[in-house]
Amino acid sequence: MAHAVETRGLWQVFGGNAKSSLERELKTGAASDDVASVLKEQGLIPAVQDANIAVAPGELFVIMGLSGSGKSTLIRSISRLVEPTAGEVIMQGEDLLKASKSRMTELRRTKMGMVFQHFGLFPHMSVIDNVAFPLKVRGLKRKERHAKVREIIEMVGLAGREEAYPRELSGGQRQRVGIARSLAGDCEVWMLDEPFSALDPLIRRQLQDEFLSIQEKLKTTILFITHDIQEALKLADRIAIMRDGRIVQIGTPTEIVLNPVDDYVRDFARDVPKGRHMTLDEVMEPINGAALSEGGPQLSTSMTLEDALAGCAMSFEPIPVRDGDGKVVGVVRPELFARALGSDT
Amino acid sequence: MKRIILGGVSALAMTASAGAAEMGAVDEPIKLAINEWTGQHISTHVAGQMLSAAGYKVEYVTAGYMNMYQAMADGDIHAALEIWSSNVSEDYAKQVEAGGVVELGDLELAAKEGIAYPAHVAEMCPGLPAWEALQACAGNFATAETLPAGRLVDYPADWGTPGADRMTGLGLPFKAVPAGSEGALIAELRASTEKKSPLLITFWQPHWAMSAYDVQFVDLPVGEDACFNDPAWGPNPNAVNDCDFAPTRIFKGAWAGMEEKWPAAFEILSNYTLDVADQQPMMGAIDVDGGSVEEVVSGWMSENESKWKPVVDAAVN
Amino acid sequence: MSLTQDLPRRLSASRGTRAGLLVLAVGIVCLLLEQSLPWLSIWPAEWTVPTTQWIGDGLGAVLDALKPAMRAVSAVLEYPMAGANWLLNTIPPVLLIGLVAALGWYLGGALMAALGFFGLLFVLGSGYWSESMNTLALVFVSVPLALVLGLSIGILAYEVPRVKAVVQGVLDVMQTVPTFAYLTPLLVLFGFGPVVGLIASAIYAAPPMARNVLLGLERVEDEVKEAAVMSGGTRLQQLFLVELPAAMTQLLVGINQCLMAALSMVIIAAVIGGFNDIGWEVLLTMRKAQFGQAFLAGLVIVVFAIVIDRLSRALATERRRYDWRIGAGIFAACALIYLVTLSSMPPVAELAWFDGAAASVDQSVGEFTRQNGAGLDSLKNSAMFYMLLPLRIGLDQAVLPFTWGFQWTPAMSAWFFLAAAVIAGAAALSGRTTLATVLGCLAIILETGVANLPWPFLLAGVAGLGWVAGGWRLAFFGVGLLSLILLAGLWDRAMLSLYLSGASVITCALVGGALGLWAALSKTAWLVLQPICDMLQTIPLFVFLIPVLMFFQIGEFSAFLAICAYAIVPMIRYTRHGLVTTPPELMEAAQASGATTWQSLRDVRFPYAVPTILLGLNQTILYAFSMLVIAALIGTTGLGQSIYLALGSADVGLGIAAGSAMAILALVADRLVQGFAKAQREALGL
Repeated sequence: MAHAVETRGLWQVFGGNAKSSLERELKTGAASDDVASVLKEQGLIPAVQDANIAVAPGELFVIMGLSGSGKSTLIRSISRLVEPTAGEVIMQGEDLLKASKSRMTELRRTKMGMVFQHFGLFPHMSVIDNVAFPLKVRGLKRKERHAKVREIIEMVGLAGREEAYPRELSGGQRQRVGIARSLAGDCEVWMLDEPFSALDPLIRRQLQDEFLSIQEKLKTTILFITHDIQEALKLADRIAIMRDGRIVQIGTPTEIVLNPVDDYVRDFARDVPKGRHMTLDEVMEPINGAALSEGGPQLSTSMTLEDALAGCAMSFEPIPVRDGDGKVVGVVRPELFARALGSDT
Repeated sequence: MKRIILGGVSALAMTASAGAAEMGAVDEPIKLAINEWTGQHISTHVAGQMLSAAGYKVEYVTAGYMNMYQAMADGDIHAALEIWSSNVSEDYAKQVEAGGVVELGDLELAAKEGIAYPAHVAEMCPGLPAWEALQACAGNFATAETLPAGRLVDYPADWGTPGADRMTGLGLPFKAVPAGSEGALIAELRASTEKKSPLLITFWQPHWAMSAYDVQFVDLPVGEDACFNDPAWGPNPNAVNDCDFAPTRIFKGAWAGMEEKWPAAFEILSNYTLDVADQQPMMGAIDVDGGSVEEVVSGWMSENESKWKPVVDAAVN
Repeated sequence: MSLTQDLPRRLSASRGTRAGLLVLAVGIVCLLLEQSLPWLSIWPAEWTVPTTQWIGDGLGAVLDALKPAMRAVSAVLEYPMAGANWLLNTIPPVLLIGLVAALGWYLGGALMAALGFFGLLFVLGSGYWSESMNTLALVFVSVPLALVLGLSIGILAYEVPRVKAVVQGVLDVMQTVPTFAYLTPLLVLFGFGPVVGLIASAIYAAPPMARNVLLGLERVEDEVKEAAVMSGGTRLQQLFLVELPAAMTQLLVGINQCLMAALSMVIIAAVIGGFNDIGWEVLLTMRKAQFGQAFLAGLVIVVFAIVIDRLSRALATERRRYDWRIGAGIFAACALIYLVTLSSMPPVAELAWFDGAAASVDQSVGEFTRQNGAGLDSLKNSAMFYMLLPLRIGLDQAVLPFTWGFQWTPAMSAWFFLAAAVIAGAAALSGRTTLATVLGCLAIILETGVANLPWPFLLAGVAGLGWVAGGWRLAFFGVGLLSLILLAGLWDRAMLSLYLSGASVITCALVGGALGLWAALSKTAWLVLQPICDMLQTIPLFVFLIPVLMFFQIGEFSAFLAICAYAIVPMIRYTRHGLVTTPPELMEAAQASGATTWQSLRDVRFPYAVPTILLGLNQTILYAFSMLVIAALIGTTGLGQSIYLALGSADVGLGIAAGSAMAILALVADRLVQGFAKAQREALGL
C-alpha cells in the first residue's frame, strides 16, 4: 500500500558544515547512534537522527516526546520549513527534498496544511482574512475566497466572528482560526504542531473532541505532535515516541502502553490508567472449548477494560467476547484483568 | 596673487567691450546669490533691481558663501555680487581656472580689515590705537586657554588666519583663537561690550557691528608688497606680515555662460559698482532699524537714480 | 608568607588585570623613553601616508564619473521638490492648521488636535511660515526617499544573513560620519540647491529606518512566518503580505525616528543654502548674534519636531482612532475662519507676534551677561584651570602660577607618581588588581594630558579594553582603525577631539547618571526633567551654541557646555529607564531579605540596570561626537575644525578623511561600550 507520508533515514543536524560532516560519518556505515554521538563531539546538534516513519492514508499519526526531543524539528523537516540534512521525505511517491522551491510552494498550497502551537495568526488580518490567506496567495479574488472559507469558519465554530482580529479572541478561538486556516487550502496531509498545548485543560478537551469530529468528516492523513501522552493515546491510530532526536518506538496506543520498549517509554506509560485504553481484544484468550455461560455481561472486542470490568467484576468464569457481528471470538477471565491493570512496578 | 592677476585681466576685457548689447534670454530668470551677510544682500538687491529695470527676470537664491562656486560653474547660480578677496574659498580659484566661473571686476566697495577692539578696551590698554601698546598690556587680554599670552579672536578657521599672521609678524605675545563663525565674532563683541571686558578681535568694515559696538581699528604699519615677501621690511626684521592687512578687493563673479545668454545683463553687472558710503547707511537701516532689504534698497534706488541708471542705459540702449 | 604566595595567583586572576598590566607597562616605557625617542609622543610627519591626497584624487575621479547620472537624479528630484513646495506654500496657512489639527484629532484626540493647532499657530505667528513650509517640503521629499532606502537596506540585511554584519557596519558609518564631511562631494555630484540637503538628510535618516525594519522583521514570531510558508506563499508574498505588515509597529517606530532625523539634518544642510528655509533663518540670525530671534527661529523647528513626533508616534502606538467627523468639523471651522478673515489677513511674512518677546529675551540675555560677567568668567576659569586644561595638556603643563598659584616641577611629578603608585599598590594588595592597573593608567593620563598621550600607550589602551570587552577581534578592530588615523597624519587633531568629547562624556555620565537616578527615585523629578530632555533633543544643534556663546564666548569651555547639553539626554533617559524597569520580583526579594532602599538600589537595581545604562552611555558618546562638529562653529580645534575648513575650501579629500577619523573614534568607542554591555547582559543571563 502506498504511504501518504514516509520518511527514510531523515537527518536534521544543526551547526556549521553539518551536511559534509554528516555525509562523512554516514559513509563509514556506522550505526546511527554512533554517528550521532560523533557529531555531538564535533559540536554539532543532531536534532533528528535517522527518522523512519510511514504514515498510511487517513491515518492519525502522533509523534510524542518531551520538549527538546526533536519532534517539532521532525515535522518541520517533513514540511521543509527547515532544510533536512540528509534522507528522503516521500509524499505520494514524490521526494519532497528534491522538489524545487516553486514545486514546494505548489505542494504547500495543494497538499499540506499546518497548525501551530502558538497559533501563528497574522496579527494584522481579521479572522476571515487569516483563514482565507492560503487562497489569497493563490490569487483568488477577495469575494471568491471569502465565499469559500465561510463553510470552514462555520465548521470550527467561529461563525459571526469573521471580522474580529486575533487580539480580540480567546486562546481557544485563536486556535480554531489556526485550524480553519490550515484547512482552507486543499489539505491532504495535515500537520499539527502541539496545537492544544497552549490552551487550558477544559478548552483542550473540547477542541480535541472537535478535532476528532473534523477528522471524521475529512479523513485526511494527519501528523500530530504532542508532549501529552493522554492526548496521544486519545487521538492516535499509531504513536511514534521520540527521545533525544531518535524515534524509540512506533506502535498503537495499546502497544505503547502494554509493551514499552524501554524505561523511557515505560515512564510515559506509567501514569496511564490502562483500563481506559486497552480494549478486550488485547487481553482475550482463545475459546479453547471453555464452557461459555449464557447470559451474564455482554462483552465486545472494542470494549475497554474499564467498561468491561464494571459489568463483570463479580464473575469468576470465563466470559465470552463477541465481535461486531455478535459472533463469539474469545473469552476473558476476570482474574486476568487484575494482572493487565496492575502497575508495572 | 594669481587670483588677483586673473581678475585684472578680465576687468580689462570688460572695459573694451562696453557699449550697448543684446538682451538675450529675457524670459529666463537670472539667479543671483544671496549669502549670509546683510551687506551682500544690499549689493545683490541693488544689482537685481538694476537688472529688473533693464527688463530681466531676477531670482534671489540663498547660497552658502563658501560653497557656491561649484553651483556657479554649473550654471545653477548666475552671479555673485560681493566676493571678498581676503576671504574667498579656494574653490573659487579652482572654478575660475577650470573655466566655469569668470570674474566681473571690482565692486569698488572700499573695505578694510584689521585688528580691532570695542572702544571701552582703550582704557584697559593705554596707548591704543597704536599697535606698540599691545606689547605691554597683552597680559590684560590673557584667558585660560591662551596663558600667558593675550587672546586675539581671529576669523573662523576657514577664512584663513590673518590675525595670527599679524601677531607672529609683529612679535606680539598674543595667541589667536579661531572664532568658528561670524556669529561667534559678534557674540564676542557684544559680550565684551556688555561686560566691559577686554577684547582684541580680527574684524572688517563695512559691517553694521562697527558702529553698533563702537569698534576701533588698531593702527598697524601701513603695508606694502615687500612686507609680505621680505622679512627685513618693517618693524620686525625677522618676519613677514609685520604690517597692516593687505587691502581687500571686493569683486563680482559670474557663471561663464552668462555673457552669451544675457549679454546686456552681463555688461550691467560688470560695470556695476557700489560705494561704501551708500551701503553702510542701508545696512544700518536693516540691521539696526529692522527694515526689510527689499524696501530699503527700493528706497535708495528711487532716490539715487543717477548712481545706477546710466549703467543700465549704457548696456540696453 | 601568605602574601607572597597569594600574589602570583591574584595577579594572574583576571583578564582585566592582565590587560591593565600590559597597558600600564607600555605607558611607563613610553614615559621613560619619551625624551630620547620623540616619535613616541609625536608621530613623525614623514611616517604619514598622504591619505587626504589619495582620497581627494580617488574620489575626484569617482565623482566625475558619477556626476552625469547623479545630475539626472537631481533633475528628477526637482519635480517632487517643486511640487511639495508649491503645494505647501499655496495652501492658506489657516487651512493647513485646520488640516493638521483635524489629523491630530483623528490620531490622538483632543490633546493632539490642540497640539497641532497651537503648534502651527505659533509657526504662523512667528512670521516664518513660508520658510517653515520650505523646510517641510524638503522633509516631505527626503523622508519617503529615506524610508525606501531604509526599507531596502533592512530587507536586504534580513534576507541575506551573510551581508548583515556588513550592512550594519555601513549603517554605523552613515550615522557617524558627520554630514558636513560629505556635503562637498554631494555638492559636486548633485549640483547646488535643495537636492543636496535632501540627499544628505536621506542618508542620515535612512539608518534608523533600516535598523527598525531589520529588528521588526526579526521579531515577527517564527510561527507567523512559518504559517505564511505553509499557506503556500511565495517569498515575496510572505514578505509583503505577512512579515512586513506583522512588523508594522516596529516599522512605525522607524518612520518616527526617520522623520526626526531628517528634520534635524535638513537644518544642518541649510549651511549650503539654496532653499530659503528655516535653518537658513537660524543661521542668519545667529550670524548677527541676535539670540532672541535665533531662539524664535529655533523654536519654530522645535515646535515642528514635536508636532511631527507626537503625531507619528500616535500613529505608531495608539490603536484607537477618533471619530473623523469631529476632525472634519475642526477643519470646517478653520475653513470658516479663513473665509471670514480673508480680507483682513496680513501677508504671513509680516506677522510678528513674538518679536517683542524675542527682543526681550535678547535684552535679558544681554542684561544677565552684564550683571554676572565676573561670575561667569570665574566659573569658566575654574572649569578650565582645574578640569579641562589638565585633562588636555596634563598637570605638568597646566599647573602654572597664573592658574593654580604655583609652578609644577619635576619633583612634583615624582611625588604625584609615587602617590599614585601607593594607592594602586594598596588596591592591588586588597585584591583589586584590575582597579590598581586602571588607577596607574589614569595617573599617566592626568600627568601627560590627553592631547600629549604617547600613541603606543593609547593604542595599547584600546587593545586592552577591546580584549577585555570582546576578545581579540575587538582589540584588532580598535587598533586597526585607530592606526589609520595615525597613518593619515590626523592624530593630533583626533586627540583634541577625543579630549573634548571625552571630557564631555565623562561629565555627562556623572551628571546625567545622577539626574537619571534622581528621576528614577522621584516622580516629580521626572516630571520636571522629561520636558527638558524632549526640548534638548529636538532643538536644532546650532541653537545650543547661542546662549553658551553669549555667556562664555568662544572657546573650549563653550563647546564643552554645548556638547554636554546635547549629549546628556540619553544618559538621563537610559539610567532612569534601566533603574525603573527592574523586575518587581527582584525588588520584592531584596525587600523581603531586609535590604534598605539604598541597599536594594546599590546591590539589586543598579547591577540589573547596568546594560541599559551602558547603552545610554553609548548613545551619549555618539551624540557627543555629532555635536563636536557643530561645536566647531564656536571655534574649537581638532577634527571638527578640519571638517569646516574642508567644507569652506571644497576639499573633498580632507573632508572625507577628517570625517572618517571622527567616525572611527565614535565607532571604536561605540564597540567598546557595546562589548562591555554585552558581557554584562550575558553575566545577568538577559
